Amino acid sequence: MAAPNAPTQRIDGAPLNGPRLPPGSRNERFGKWLDQRIPPAAKITLSQRNIFIFPTRTGLGFALLLSLLLLAAINYANALVYGVAFLLLSLFLVTILYTYRNLSGLTIEVASSGSGFVGEDVAFEVRLSRPKGRGREGIQLGWPGALKQWCELHEREADTVQLYVPAARRGLFNPGRLLIETFFPLGLLRAWTWVDLSASAIVYPKPIFGPLPDANHGHRDDGVLIDPRGSDDFTDIRAYQAGDPVRHILWRSYAREGELAVKQYASYVEPRLWLSLDDMDGPLESRLSRLTGHAISCHRAGREFGLRLGSSELSPDAGKDHLERVLKELALYGHG
Amino acid sequence: MATGNIFEAQRRAAAPDRAPARFGAPYQIPRNSLALLMLAQLAVLLPLTPYVSPWIIGVALFCGFWRWQIYRGRWSYPARWVKGALVLLSASAVALSQASAFSVETATMLCCAAFALKLIEMKTQRDAYLVIFLAYFLIAVAFLFAQSLGQAAYQLLASILVTGAMVAMNQRHNQVRPIASLKVAASLLLQALPIMIVVFLFFPRLAPLWSVPLPGSAQTGISDSVTPGEIARLSQSDEIAFRVEFADRVPGNRSLYFRGVVFSHYDEGTWRQLAALPADFNYPSTTDESAIDYSVLLESTQRNWLFALDLASPLSGPTTITQDFRLQSSEPVTSLLRYDVRSFTAARLPAPVQSQMLRRDLQLPADQEMRTRAFARQLYAQLGEDPDAYLDYLLRYIREQPYGYTLNPPAAGTRDSVDRFWFDTRRGFCTHYAGALVVLLRAVDIPARMVGGYQGGEVNPVTGHLVVRSRDAHAWVEALLPERGWLRIDPTAAVAPNRIEQGLEAALSDADRAARAGFANGLLDGMPLLSNLAYWAESIDHRWNMWVVGFDGAQQQKTLSSWLGDVSPTRLGLALVIGVALVMAAVAGVLFWRERAAPTSEAVRVLLGFERTATRFGMPRAVSETPSDYLKRVAEACGLGSEEGAGLARRMSSALYDPGSDEAENPSDSLRALRRDLLRLRWRLAFG
Repeated sequence: MAAPNAPTQRIDGAPLNGPRLPPGSRNERFGKWLDQRIPPAAKITLSQRNIFIFPTRTGLGFALLLSLLLLAAINYANALVYGVAFLLLSLFLVTILYTYRNLSGLTIEVASSGSGFVGEDVAFEVRLSRPKGRGREGIQLGWPGALKQWCELHEREADTVQLYVPAARRGLFNPGRLLIETFFPLGLLRAWTWVDLSASAIVYPKPIFGPLPDANHGHRDDGVLIDPRGSDDFTDIRAYQAGDPVRHILWRSYAREGELAVKQYASYVEPRLWLSLDDMDGPLESRLSRLTGHAISCHRAGREFGLRLGSSELSPDAGKDHLERVLKELALYGHG
Repeated sequence: MATGNIFEAQRRAAAPDRAPARFGAPYQIPRNSLALLMLAQLAVLLPLTPYVSPWIIGVALFCGFWRWQIYRGRWSYPARWVKGALVLLSASAVALSQASAFSVETATMLCCAAFALKLIEMKTQRDAYLVIFLAYFLIAVAFLFAQSLGQAAYQLLASILVTGAMVAMNQRHNQVRPIASLKVAASLLLQALPIMIVVFLFFPRLAPLWSVPLPGSAQTGISDSVTPGEIARLSQSDEIAFRVEFADRVPGNRSLYFRGVVFSHYDEGTWRQLAALPADFNYPSTTDESAIDYSVLLESTQRNWLFALDLASPLSGPTTITQDFRLQSSEPVTSLLRYDVRSFTAARLPAPVQSQMLRRDLQLPADQEMRTRAFARQLYAQLGEDPDAYLDYLLRYIREQPYGYTLNPPAAGTRDSVDRFWFDTRRGFCTHYAGALVVLLRAVDIPARMVGGYQGGEVNPVTGHLVVRSRDAHAWVEALLPERGWLRIDPTAAVAPNRIEQGLEAALSDADRAARAGFANGLLDGMPLLSNLAYWAESIDHRWNMWVVGFDGAQQQKTLSSWLGDVSPTRLGLALVIGVALVMAAVAGVLFWRERAAPTSEAVRVLLGFERTATRFGMPRAVSETPSDYLKRVAEACGLGSEEGAGLARRMSSALYDPGSDEAENPSDSLRALRRDLLRLRWRLAFG
């Protein structure tokens, strides 16, 4: 579902006035033209400036029906068959007005942008409102690569639609241009528009869960908990397990008995855990992912934790707001 | 929602409150659309039932029922063998019907069968649209068989149903009811109607591109062979044969002889029409005083001949006139045909140039009707071989001898039937008298022939057109007298003058009339209200035929030439485009009327207009400036006194915020004063 290279899923941090590729098309020139035609705005009201209209495949089929009827009318010289052909032609012409009218005057804005992790769907709430008077129906909207939603504005003059867009990359996520289309009333014509509502959501790194980092260099005095995996004080000897630090292996015992044993140490752990990018190894994204996992684990365990990301530092704290701050920091790291 | 619930996002994504159409889920035709489509199917097939094998109708009903059951979830889509059996049944129904392979009936049946069968196979959106398009097509097909106003009204309603089904395809059925879809469809069609009328008027009518099979039905009216008594059968019917719209007044009944068929050949009691070449005579000049112009709207006859008064000159359509002065159409008349004619009622019908044509009108079968022939020769000799005297004598003879006029003559057999009628039974209908007279004339070498057509008719008092019905069918005689050309002689006038003066009803005996009782006109005679209603209904039908059904290329030319002058394709195209654009604009105006911006008050517009001018001269209004401050500032800059500026500002304020507060002036007067003051200010801005 998430197109791997969907041109719309831009990470914020790319220059805002950079080329915005029209969704579904890689034609850069069309994108530029679209940007001039329908400049990005937080709130857009649809009018003849930004509504496109064209027959659908069904509409082309209808045209075929029309020409068949016209042929029959000509060959049979039958005034009433002419009448049917002309009625359907007129119906098509009136439908142009109706289809256009179904979108015109609609105001679209992003009511709120959600957040999410890479690989998940990010929710956007899009608010549609219409002028007083006639209701609208059969409006479909969606970001490319995501599910389309229907919206009806019969009695209500405004409605909010939740749209879920798969987030592919970490950072500030702009889902690109939103497609708003309608086939109402006959499905013969499609009126549509691509609007850039300057929506942006924060996409956190995909969390990777694992054991929390050890040895937080606490001091015996202010330690409360004992971390059995610490390395401050020797406590026990046990059999070697893959992953144990090499410097804890009892080489003497190995020489004597031929089996690897390790010394076990424990350290006094500070309850306020510091998560630091520098303590991790591996590629940057993987480190950020693991930090994200740690942060969530800490939050679930109710522990206080702080974050050190390069030059920035968030002092240890607990609670949902803190978690959000931390995740945001992780999401935006390296993107300014 | 900010980042409030990051863990919830995932849950919501899995089960959003508005279930989106999931990818891969089977498409379901919206419930409302399906219901409307099934109704539409019934509505569309109903008027076609008389022309389609009953088996096809059976298959259609069965398919409709099956679809209903699928819809209710009782049955599933039919298995392949069921569909196969239905297709086989429909195909054999078409094959077994009397229709030939390439007739309209066959095509219609196949269309109906496809329409019905597709219903139980319809799964995707594309299928549904295909069924909808087929329904529209069948609506048009039905017009090949019947073109009445009632039919048109019915089909308009049917097209609302079909369009409603199409609307419902694009609605969410849980949000609207089927009636809402129908409402949208009705308003769409209502707004399409004016555009359609413009297109109907201006779209150039082309000649048929290739010849197509025409819908056949029973031939009606006068045939090309007649045995005495046949026209009597026609007289039993009140069906309308044709209507005539005269340019001026309707001529008297005595001259309303609509000629159709010329029976030249006689054998064994049967008269036949012979083929004739196109005419090679010259018409009288168009300034002839006896010339009358009229249009005939002929109902379908399935035959080539047209009816017109003598001597007819076709003004429109693919019509020709033959050497025996018949008007003919190149194709059989299979649906209502409108043709315009000019008749020179006083013109002499000239004798044929070729002797072969003349010989046709002297033919008598050998060894038949010998008694009549002997009688004729003896009489002719007695009268000194004077054709005029002979003819007069014969008509007087019919009048004075006990001959009778009846719809139910005694059987006269076929061979020598004229002998038996003339000497023995002496009772007969118009064909008997005409036939006998032709034999009597030919027996003495006077060229003569029987002519079949319609005589008389009834004038509808509402529109003033003439209605000619089957019962007005008539036969008379034409004889070629030296020096006088072809003369029309009606022996029926001799035996029953009422038939010619007042129509059939008046000429009939009480017994005949009783046999005819039950026909509409006889019934309504005593009820003025009902017969008035009947006249109204008939005149509406007539207008419909005149202006809609009979609107062909020639009519278009005639109607539009008064508006456009020369009706060339370019002008038609231009008129079409402009007309459609104008009507579209009007429809759009109606549609978008409510969308227009909220009306601003007159005072606001005056202020904005002034601002535009002042800005051009370098005095824009500051964002924080009130209108009155602004006006004061501009007035001062223009060198007006502060008092004058303050007055202007006060006037503007009261016009903007408190119109009508000044009781001395009414609001429009004070606005006019404001405008005048501002104009002066503008003047100063520009030149001061």
